[in-house]
Amino acid sequence: MEVTAVTEILDTTLALVFAWVGYKTTRILWKYTPYSYPNARIRAMEARLFNEQKFNELAESKTLNNFIINLEDSDYKDYLANISSYDAESIEKALDTALADIYGLMFKILPKRVNPFFKLLLQEWDVRNISSIVKAKISGEPAVNYVIELGTMVPKIKAMADAKSMEEILVILEGTEYEEIYQGLLLGEISVDEFETQLYRMHYLKLLEYASSRKDEEKIILEEFVKLKIDKLNILTILRAKAHNLKADVIKSFLIPGGTINKKTLETLLNVDDLSMALAELDSTKYGNIIKNVREEIEGDLSVLGREFDRYIRERLGELTRFYPLSVAVPLNFILQKETEIKKLKAIAKLIEDGIFPEKIKDIVGELT
Amino acid sequence: MDPIVYVSLGAALAAGIAGAASSFGVGIAGAAAAGAVAEDEKNFKNALILEGLPMTQSIYGLITLFLILMVSGILGGNFKFKNPSDINNIIKSAILLGAGLTVGLTGLSAIPQGIIASAGIGAVAKNPKTFTQGIIFAAMAETMAIFGLVGALIMIVTGVGF
Repeated sequence: MEVTAVTEILDTTLALVFAWVGYKTTRILWKYTPYSYPNARIRAMEARLFNEQKFNELAESKTLNNFIINLEDSDYKDYLANISSYDAESIEKALDTALADIYGLMFKILPKRVNPFFKLLLQEWDVRNISSIVKAKISGEPAVNYVIELGTMVPKIKAMADAKSMEEILVILEGTEYEEIYQGLLLGEISVDEFETQLYRMHYLKLLEYASSRKDEEKIILEEFVKLKIDKLNILTILRAKAHNLKADVIKSFLIPGGTINKKTLETLLNVDDLSMALAELDSTKYGNIIKNVREEIEGDLSVLGREFDRYIRERLGELTRFYPLSVAVPLNFILQKETEIKKLKAIAKLIEDGIFPEKIKDIVGELT
Repeated sequence: MDPIVYVSLGAALAAGIAGAASSFGVGIAGAAAAGAVAEDEKNFKNALILEGLPMTQSIYGLITLFLILMVSGILGGNFKFKNPSDINNIIKSAILLGAGLTVGLTGLSAIPQGIIASAGIGAVAKNPKTFTQGIIFAAMAETMAIFGLVGALIMIVTGVGF
């Protein structure tokens, strides 16, 4: 073989090898490097999440003063240090601020290609607040009691709660994405229930759209998370409707598209006669295992299913976290765990204020797990 | 290309690719270490050890660089394969390029090692008991670089000789 032929073969091989190696290396670096810092930080924060023993200690606080002292060695110390009076409401507000800061931290440390999802998640609190305030105003209750100081538009939410008329709320919502839906409610085009459904539908479609626009693992994880949440909402809506004997057509208008339950199962669920039959129908879905263990309790109290569903979503995200340690699953899983922790802390504070015995508090908080 | 280009390229790629991969690996693990320490400075010792693991590939690259420069005579200022029209010179310089490339490319294992170390730092930050397992998982990626170094040594010793 000629010397030039040998050198040409060597040169071409080199070029091909380097092109391939360069491409693969860049892909790997692009995929994992941005999660290195935030995920390690979040893991370290996970180590500080409260365990059952800590919740039991807090449940035994007896007074809110002791409750706050017991939280002095925790991440909540700075938030609780500034509260003016030791009552459950002030503690709740401080804990909400802590949660809002966690969302803010996620937004700050996570890669730009995925952090808008956490802003969208925060908007769910806006939807909850708007819906609660409007419902409270319509039923003549003080809306302030229903406000959770979390979300992307807390000042507007507070102003809405203080609004003297429904028209004033429209002025506050002007320029936001919720304006049009609220206008529909004011004009009597939709009922308050439809108003709530439309708010959630818009929110979940936004989440789903964002999740679908991602790539690779991010797309898999975010889509699964959003679809699980949609399934939870749809199943609870159907079961509640069945418990109140609503017709299939009416229930259908309250469903949110985009979940994993197929059309055929949904149709069957909508057309079964009662709650028991709906639960039996769900046995054949992937959620059968959730229902199996608590069927009798669900038939008496549907909130049990909501809690079991939340637990299932957390467990599923835990699995995804183990499978994709350098991915968006870690911060999502952490946010859910943190929300549960704060929910439990709020419950303990409220129960202590109401003078409930520690053993009873432990039972109630245990159920929230 | 002339034999001198192949030989120099072999030496440069061995140290260059392995060194670059090591820096990426240490960079990924270092970012995780910073994250873990930001939340709790007790994580420093464990994170430092895991962060250092992807550095070894750059040492293998450096060893190979010296070996190639030595056997080819570049290090002593007397390059042995000067004549480009001699096919033996082309073959020997190609072997040295291959040896350098083997170490360089297997040295890329420093990047996944950094990723594993990064996940390991996260796991150790959550549960310090997983430190040993984290080291073992990250060390697995090292074997590929060791294989590459052994292969390159065999190529250099048998294909070119001292």
